[in-house]
Amino acid sequence: MSVAAHSVERARPEITGEIDKAGYVLVAFFAIPFFLFNILPVLFGFYVAFTRWSIVGAPKWEGLNNFTRAFNDHWVAVAFKNILFYGVIIVPSVTVLGLVFALFVNKRYPLSGLARTLFFAPTVVSATVIGLVWVWLLDTQFGLVNHYLSFFGIDDVPWLTSTRWSLVGVSIASIWWDLGLAFVLFLAALQDIPGEINDAAIVDGANRWQRFRYVILPHLRPVISMVVTLQLISTLRIFSQVYVMTNGGPAGSSSSPIHYIYSIAIVRNLFGYASAIAILLFALILAVTFAQRFLLKERA
Amino acid sequence: MSAKPTRIGTLALNRRGLLKATGAAAASLAAPGFATRRARAANPIEINHWSWLAASDGEVWAKMIADFNEAHKDKGVQIKMEVVPEEQYVTKVLAAAATGKAPDFGWGTAGKGAQLARDAVTVPLDDLAAKAGLDLADFSAYSISASRYPKYDNKIFMIPMDLMSLQPEINLDHVKEAGLDPAKPPVDGATLLEWATAMTKREGDKVTRSGIMMTGSGVQPTVTWGIVAEQLGFQRASDDLKTACVNPEASKKAMQWVLDLFDKHKVSTRDVTDRYKAFGTGQGSIFWTGPWTLNGYVGQKLNFKTALFPKIGDKHVTYFEMGGLELYQQADTARYEATMQAVKWLSDNSFLWTTVGRGASPRKSILDRPDYKTTGNSWDVRGAFVDGMSFATVGEIPVVNGPNFTIYSGGNFLAKTLEGVWSGQTSIDDAMTQIQTQWQADLDEG
Repeated sequence: MSVAAHSVERARPEITGEIDKAGYVLVAFFAIPFFLFNILPVLFGFYVAFTRWSIVGAPKWEGLNNFTRAFNDHWVAVAFKNILFYGVIIVPSVTVLGLVFALFVNKRYPLSGLARTLFFAPTVVSATVIGLVWVWLLDTQFGLVNHYLSFFGIDDVPWLTSTRWSLVGVSIASIWWDLGLAFVLFLAALQDIPGEINDAAIVDGANRWQRFRYVILPHLRPVISMVVTLQLISTLRIFSQVYVMTNGGPAGSSSSPIHYIYSIAIVRNLFGYASAIAILLFALILAVTFAQRFLLKERA
Repeated sequence: MSAKPTRIGTLALNRRGLLKATGAAAASLAAPGFATRRARAANPIEINHWSWLAASDGEVWAKMIADFNEAHKDKGVQIKMEVVPEEQYVTKVLAAAATGKAPDFGWGTAGKGAQLARDAVTVPLDDLAAKAGLDLADFSAYSISASRYPKYDNKIFMIPMDLMSLQPEINLDHVKEAGLDPAKPPVDGATLLEWATAMTKREGDKVTRSGIMMTGSGVQPTVTWGIVAEQLGFQRASDDLKTACVNPEASKKAMQWVLDLFDKHKVSTRDVTDRYKAFGTGQGSIFWTGPWTLNGYVGQKLNFKTALFPKIGDKHVTYFEMGGLELYQQADTARYEATMQAVKWLSDNSFLWTTVGRGASPRKSILDRPDYKTTGNSWDVRGAFVDGMSFATVGEIPVVNGPNFTIYSGGNFLAKTLEGVWSGQTSIDDAMTQIQTQWQADLDEG
């Protein structure tokens, strides 16, 4: 061992047992409820996934039956396929629009404060309210969206009533709702970029696009990674909008895994089967998150 | 009293400490009243009641409970009511029962409580009703039979409170505009289409006002198929609940009948999202729905009347739904008697409920009262829902997987499968095969 390392070790403060105990007590205020109400139910959920259980009575061990059933369940496949489409529509839209809006109000100009508030406002409204409002806006016959589209000669679009459009309709509401958070994160990151770097790029003759592409965007990469991760997880768990706007229909075309889990657990009381599907969703979220983090890190 | 040996009492949740702690914690949290443990003093008795009635009918029910409490204020019995969201109701009852804290009684729908009966969460009521002096002979035979679960000892598991059916509400402004005679509403498939065609409005090929109010998905096309299929001779389950889909050809014909409303006769549009609102705002002319809509439409002064559901096939039937009160398993079985007395009082005094609240009365003595037809909404809008009960027989299939058979549903297996047909994604034959396979498995499970 080197002398330097030795001296560092000697410089460590002595930790007494009493301090340790006090720490445990302080941590316990959080740790015990967290263990009881977060960790334990998750562990219990894993156990229940291998059983047949409807709250009353003992869970009956079923081995992998619930998982086999899930893999053979047409509606599980539909829900997981839908979630990929939701991801493809919502994640890039929220990321790009969030960035565009943030760039738009990054500089101070008259009413930019109001614009910031307006862009963020949907985020503070509950998903249920968002869903109800968008049901009205997207109504096929008397919705505002179709009304305005008709000015351009576009025929009524059945946003929520056709198997072709329902997923898009729910996605539009979700994008509007989720945009605020991405917008704030990007705005905060933009404000953190030192003005000198931009000034130097201007002096070097970089045009607006070049400044964005080679100066601003590299600085935003960690935030982009975070926004994409958060948005991906949020989209994989999409529920409220689906429940309020289409109830997963028509023909399951807008359903999501969480919506299906809800209907299996709360409506049908098949908690074992619902837990098995939840575990599959958990595995998917984990895999997608790792893959996405890896890819963005590699590119960075 | 012949209550089944309690399976709740032998909950195997204590097989492991882990299960016990988690199950109990989750179930306790799910049960309303967790924070304030109710006192179960023997005297005065506080009977705990859960209800999911929350619309205008909920107000009438609250009045019924208030009337009971007023009538019993010096008798040592009071009902304490809590309103629980309908879709969480069964789960909360299960959770509360698992921890021994179930309410004494609550609202149920006939045929939908097979799981509760199987798990002994609901209490068989034959003996309790007799002991309380409730005159079961005063109830219609069909209401009592709908309260039983053949697969679970065939006992009565609820006291019927109201009977509901689906009957057509007809916009009288549209009738007048089309030059039709409001005194002669449609009685069969042909006249129904005749009326619907006369009242439909179109722009080119597009229906802008439906002669027959429909939606492209959800409850309305599913329940319409269910009624028409049974009229054409289809049965979702055989009488002995052993065989699924008796006469599937009739079911396929009914699917085609619904599709033709959209595509052949063009009297309905798939573009309606909110059927209640659409009918209320005049976007549809004939809308088969239940008596729960009356107070709302009367309140908004919609000019309409209600007729009997037309006879489209050989059997004249329509959708049936029955609400009733069920008793839940208690550790202290002495509470059943007082609870049953309260339920008896509510049933005996359900005149208000079945005139102003909702549905028709299942009790002959109430139906025979001279003021039954003159109380509440006018007979023009209410009468069909009372008279129509004589042929309302398309109810729930009383098995544990009954929710898969429910025709009045917007998101169950049946609705989702049929939505494939309505949207043209699934062929009628394929849908029928899927339904038959799933339902047979459901019946086999019991």
